[in-house]
Amino acid sequence: MSDVLAVLEQREGALRKVSSEVVTGARRLADGLVGRVEALVLAAGSVQGIDHLGGFGADQVVTLTNGAFGRYAPEAYTRVIADRAQAGGYRAVVFAASATGRDLAPRVAARLGVGLAQDVTDVAVEGGAVTVIRPVYAGKALLKLTLTATPAIVSLRPNVFTPVQRPKAGSAETVAVHAPAGRVVVTAIKAAAAGTLDVAEAPIVISGGRGLKEPANFKVLEELAAAFGGRAAVGASRAVVDAGWRPHADQVGQTGKTVSPTLYIAVGISGAIQHLAGMRTSKVIVAINKDKDAPIFKVADYGVVGDLFEVVPRLTEEIKKLHG
Amino acid sequence: MKIAVCIKRVPDSETRVKIASDGKSLDEAGVKFILNPYDEFAVEEALRRKEQAGAGEVVIVTVGSAAAQETIRTALAMGADRGILLQTDKIPADGLEVARALAAEVKDSGYDLILFGKMAIDDYNHQVGPMVAELLDLPCVTAIAHLEIGGGKGTAEREIEGGVELVEFPLPAVLTADKGLNEPRYPALKGIMAAKKKPLQVKPATLGAGGLEVLALTPPPQRKEGRVVGEGPAAVLELLRLLREEAKVL
Amino acid sequence: MAKGAGSRETFLPAQYQPPLPLDQLIIQDGAAGAGDRMELDVVIVGAGPAGLAAAIELAQLARRDGTELNIGVLEKAAALGEHSLSGAVVNPRAFRELFPDLQEGDFPFRGPVRKEAVYLLTADRRVRLPVPPTMRNHGNSVASLCEIVRWLGEKAAALGVNIFTGFPAASLLVDGPRVVGVRTAATGLDRAGRPLANYLAPNDLVAKVTALAEGTRGMLAQAWCEWRQVTAENPEIFALGVKEIWETKRALGTIVHTLGWPLPSDAFGGSFMYPLAPNLVALGLVVGLDYRDSALDVHGLFQRMKRHPLFRRYLEGGEMVEWGAKTIPEGGYYSVPTRRSGDGVVMLGDSAGFVDVPSLKGIHYAMQSGMFAARAVFAALKHGDPSAVRLGDYDRMVNASFIMQDLYRTRNMRLAFKDGFYAGALKAGLMTLTGGRFPGGRIAMPRDADVARRLTPGLRPGSGEIPDGRLTFSKVDGVFKAGNATRDTIPTHLIVGRDVPSEAADFYARLCPAGVYERIDSGLRVNAPNCIDCKATDVLGPRWTPREGGSGPKYKRM
Ligand SMILES: Cc1cc2nc3c(=O)[nH]c(=O)nc-3n(C[C@H](O)[C@H](O)[C@H](O)COP(=O)(O)OP(=O)(O)OC[C@H]3O[C@@H](n4cnc5c(N)ncnc54)[C@H](O)[C@@H]3O)c2cc1C
Ligand SMILES: Cc1cc2nc3c(=O)[nH]c(=O)nc-3n(C[C@H](O)[C@H](O)[C@H](O)COP(=O)(O)OP(=O)(O)OC[C@H]3O[C@@H](n4cnc5c(N)ncnc54)[C@H](O)[C@@H]3O)c2cc1C
Ligand code: SF4
Repeated sequence: MSDVLAVLEQREGALRKVSSEVVTGARRLADGLVGRVEALVLAAGSVQGIDHLGGFGADQVVTLTNGAFGRYAPEAYTRVIADRAQAGGYRAVVFAASATGRDLAPRVAARLGVGLAQDVTDVAVEGGAVTVIRPVYAGKALLKLTLTATPAIVSLRPNVFTPVQRPKAGSAETVAVHAPAGRVVVTAIKAAAAGTLDVAEAPIVISGGRGLKEPANFKVLEELAAAFGGRAAVGASRAVVDAGWRPHADQVGQTGKTVSPTLYIAVGISGAIQHLAGMRTSKVIVAINKDKDAPIFKVADYGVVGDLFEVVPRLTEEIKKLHG
Repeated sequence: MKIAVCIKRVPDSETRVKIASDGKSLDEAGVKFILNPYDEFAVEEALRRKEQAGAGEVVIVTVGSAAAQETIRTALAMGADRGILLQTDKIPADGLEVARALAAEVKDSGYDLILFGKMAIDDYNHQVGPMVAELLDLPCVTAIAHLEIGGGKGTAEREIEGGVELVEFPLPAVLTADKGLNEPRYPALKGIMAAKKKPLQVKPATLGAGGLEVLALTPPPQRKEGRVVGEGPAAVLELLRLLREEAKVL
Repeated sequence: MAKGAGSRETFLPAQYQPPLPLDQLIIQDGAAGAGDRMELDVVIVGAGPAGLAAAIELAQLARRDGTELNIGVLEKAAALGEHSLSGAVVNPRAFRELFPDLQEGDFPFRGPVRKEAVYLLTADRRVRLPVPPTMRNHGNSVASLCEIVRWLGEKAAALGVNIFTGFPAASLLVDGPRVVGVRTAATGLDRAGRPLANYLAPNDLVAKVTALAEGTRGMLAQAWCEWRQVTAENPEIFALGVKEIWETKRALGTIVHTLGWPLPSDAFGGSFMYPLAPNLVALGLVVGLDYRDSALDVHGLFQRMKRHPLFRRYLEGGEMVEWGAKTIPEGGYYSVPTRRSGDGVVMLGDSAGFVDVPSLKGIHYAMQSGMFAARAVFAALKHGDPSAVRLGDYDRMVNASFIMQDLYRTRNMRLAFKDGFYAGALKAGLMTLTGGRFPGGRIAMPRDADVARRLTPGLRPGSGEIPDGRLTFSKVDGVFKAGNATRDTIPTHLIVGRDVPSEAADFYARLCPAGVYERIDSGLRVNAPNCIDCKATDVLGPRWTPREGGSGPKYKRM
C-alpha cells in the first residue's frame, strides 16, 4: 500500500497541461512512500500527450475509455475513480485543483469515506504520513495538515508544481470500461472568446497605472500581452479605472480582483498597499517605474527603473524574438 | 420550492491573521465574523427561486459555535424563513465530518434544492457541498455562475479554464454558488426587524475528528526584498535572462 | 485647469467652501423616493456613547415604568464601533450612573491610569512638565472606544433596543417646524447614481422624537441648527486627530501627553500615547484646524513625530496594526448651541459640542447628555407632548450639571491659543490658577474656515519625507490599516466647490488624512472611497454627506 494514483485531465482528447503537474506531485509522494505512480485518465478514446507522462515520473498510464467520458461526467467519473482507487489499494490519490478536479475530488473522497485536502501547494511524506500545505485565509496563512486515512486524497493547486523531468519506463494501457449513466450532464462547453482572458485567470498579467498618462497608451501593454501569445491579460490600478481608462473588471487590488499569476508585470504603478493586496501572491513580480523610490520596488522580484515608454516596447520586441 | 442553504460564519476577509498560541489556529481576539460571501450568493439565489415559484421555504443550516446564530440572523434578515444551528465548539479540519452532520440534517426533509457557497473564505475547503451530495446520492453541480430552473430540471453554467460548461440536472439537487450567480441583496430595515422573530432552532452536534489533522498554521514566507535589475531599456536583456534562468517563468 | 485665485500670500478656505446642502439634509415628510416606512417612538442617529447611553437609559426608564417603547438606533458603520475613534482615557462617572448595579471591573475598560507624564518636545529632546490640573487623570481608565461602543450596544440590544448598523441617516424628515424622523441613505447605486441590481431604496423612520447623536460635525445637527437658526456665542471650532495602534516590543506603563514639536508655534495641539495593554499602545496627534500654514499636514506631522526618541523607543521593532482619524469639536462652552432641543428633536454628545479640550474628554459628557436627553424624552412621551417646550427640560438638565460646569471652567482656555502656542500657554496657565476667571469675558473666535492660511509658493503635497513602511506610513497605507474597503463605484459623497484653484487643491490634499484629494495636473482628483469620515474637510472645504451604509473605516480597537 504505497502506490499513488494520479488523476489526469483531458479536454477534447488532448491531455491538459496540469496533468504533468499532477504526475509530478504524485511522484513526490510515491518517492516518499517508496511506491509506484499510476496515472489515470478518463476519455472517450485515445488521448494525445499521454506518452510524455512517463517522463514526469509515471510508472504506468491507464486510459479508461467510455463513450460518455468525452466531457466531464461527474457521477460516472466519481464512481469509476472511486472503484479504481479502492481496488488498487492506493495510499494516495492526487487530483488537480482545476475546475474539474475541485468538483471531482470531494465526491470521490466522500464516496470512499475519507478526508480531502484541496488546493494544496506542497505535498510530502513525513514519517510515513502524507502531509500537505494549503494556503488559507486568502493566502495570509499556510495550514499544514496530515491526512490520516487511506487513501489520502489531495488536489494540487495549478501552476505550483513545476513539472520535473523524471524519466520512468512508463507503460501505457487502454481499457474500455462500463459506466452508469449520470443524472448530471455537461451538454456543451462554450469556449471563452479569444482575447478575453480574465486577469484573475491569466498565467501572465501586465497591469498599467497612472504612469501610462492616457488611455490610448494602454496599447503599449496590449502589444506586450500579445507578444506572450494569448497567455497574458492586461490589468489596471484603481487610479486608471477611476479615471475611466479601463473597465472595473480589469482592476487588480483590494477592491478589484485578486490575482496570482506566474508572472505579474506592474507598469507605471506606484505600488500602493491596496494594489499589492491584489497581486502580492504572484509567483514572480516585475516592476517598471521611473521613480526609484516607488513602493512597488519593495515587492518586485525584478525591477527596472526607467520610462515605461522606452522600456516596455523594448521588452515587447525581445519577447517577440523569444517566441519567434 | 423548499430550499436549504448551508452557510458558514467566517472571519472577515480583511482580517489581519494572527496565529494563536497553539500554533495551529487563528487568534480570534478582535476578529470580526461575517456570513461567508459565497454563501450570500446561495442565500440570494434561494430567495429568488422561492420568490419566482411564489411559494416555498428557505431554511438556513449551519454547523458552528453559538455565535453562529448571529450569522443565521443575517441570512434571515435577507429574507430566509428559519434557521437551524448544529452547534459544536470546534469545526474539524476534515470537511467530510461537517458534510456528514449537514447531510444527516437535510436528509429526507423534502428539499428541492440544497445550496452552498462554492467555498468558505477561511479554510478554502471547497468540498462540503459536493460531499453532502455524494452522501445523499443527489445530483450536484459546483461553482455555478448561472442557473435556470423549470419543470423539475435545472440548467447551470460553471466556469472552467478557458470556457464555460453548460450542465443539466434533475431536482432535487445540490448546487454550490460562485461569484456572478447574482448580486446578493442587502438586508432591509424591515427584514432586520422581522429576523428577530423568525424561528431559529439550536441542536447540539457531535462531529468526529475526521481524517485530517492540523499540524501547524504559519504565516506565509516573506517575499524576498525587491531587487532592481537596472535602468532604462538597457536593463531589458538582463531582465529576460533572469526571468528565464533564475525565475524560470518564460 | 486649476488657476491661482485670490491673493498670493494667503488663502481663505471659506472662499471655496460650498454651503451646507440643506435641501438634501432636510426634506418634508412624505417626500417621494423612499421605500419602506417604519414607525418608532424614538429614533436615535448614531451609535456612539451618546446615542447608546440615551437608548439604554430610555429602555431602562420604560422597563421600570412598565411601558413599551420602540427605540431604534441608526448607525452608518457596518458593525458597532467600526466608526468609533477616541483616545481614550475615560472618566467613569457616567458609566456608574447608567449602570448603578455594575462594579467598576464590569466596565469595558482596559485598566486604570496609574502613571502620567506631560512633556514639552523639541526636535530631539523632551522636557518633563508638571501635570496641569486640567490634565490629571487619576481615577480614570484607559479604554478603546470601539470596545466601549460594542459593549454598550450589547447592553442596549439586551434591553430590546433595535440597532440598525449600516444605515446612515441621510436627511431629517420635517413637518412644519417639527422634526418627525429621518430618511436613510440609499444603498446599491452606481457612480452615476443609477440603481444597481441590489439597490435598496432609502427608508423613512418616523418617530415622536429624533435624537441626533452623530458625533463630531454631525450633518443633521448642523442642518437643524442652520434651519432653525440656532446659534452659539462662538462658532464651533475643530481639531483633527490622527491615531495609530501599535503592537510594541517594549511595554508602556504611563499615559503620556506632549506639547510643542512637531507643531509650528502658530498651531494648537499635542499628542497622546496610552497603553491599552502593556504591549498595545494607542498614540495620536491632535491639531487645531485654525492652523495658519496652508502646507500643514496632520498625518505627515504625526509620522514625523514618531521618529522622536520618546516615541521611537516604544515603536521601533513593533507593528502598526490600526490607523484612523477624526475631528474633535474644540470650541467648548461658548460654542455649545444655545438650544440643544426643539420640536421633536434633541442633540447629544459631540454633535452639541460637549467636549472639554484641556482634559481631552468627551465620552462621559456624551453619555451623560444622552442620559439627560432620555429622561426628558421619556417624560415628554409620557405627557404625549414631544414639543420644544417639554424637551427643553433636557437643556435645563445639561445646564445645571457638571457638563456645563466643567466646560465653563475652561471656557477660554482653548481660545487663548488662537494667537499661538507660547502666548496661549501663558494665558492658559493663568486661567488654571484663577479657576477660569482670567481674563474675564469671552474670547471671540472666527470659524476655522475664516482663518486665513499662509501660502508657501512651490511647495506641493507629497513633497515631504518618503514613508519607510515600518515606522512611518503613507496616507493610503493608513487608510488600508483603517480597514477601509469601500466599494469603488459608489456615487461620490463629497461636495467640492466649483473651479477650486490649485492652492485649494493643495490645501485639501494636505488637510485630508486619507489621501482623498490629489492635486493632479488638470486640477483636483477626488478619491471619495478613501474617505474615513473624519469630517475635517467638512470644516474647511468640501462638504461631507452620508453615503452608502457600511462604507468607510472598520475600526476595531480605536
Ligand atoms: C479603499 C481603497 C481601495 C483601493 N483599491 C484599490 C485596488 O483595488 N487597486 C488599486 O490599484 N488601487 C486601489 N486603491 C488605490 C491605491 O491606494 C492607489 O491610489 C492606486 O493604486 C494608485 O494607482 P497608480 O499606481 O496607478 O497611480 P500612482 O500612485 O499615481 O502611481 C503612478 C506611478 O507611475 C509612475 N510613472 C509615471 N510616469 C511613468 C513613466 N513614464 N514610466 C514609468 N513609470 C512612470 C510614477 O512614478 C508612479 O509611481 C484603493 C484605495 C483605497 C483607499
Ligand atoms: C483623537 C481623539 C481623542 C480623544 N480622546 C478622548 C479621551 O481620551 N477621553 C474622552 O473622554 N474623550 C476623548 N475624545 C472625545 C470623544 O471620543 C468624543 O467626545 C465622544 O466619542 C463623543 O461621543 P458621541 O457619541 O457624541 O459621538 P461619536 O463617538 O463620534 O459617535 C457618533 C456615531 O454616530 C455615527 N453617525 C454619525 N453620523 C451619522 C448618520 N448620519 N447616520 C448614522 N450614524 C451616524 C458615527 O458613525 C458614530 O458611530 C477624543 C476624540 C478624538 C477624536
Ligand atoms: S474627505 Fe473624508 S477623510 Fe478626507 S478630510 Fe474629508 S472627511 Fe476626512
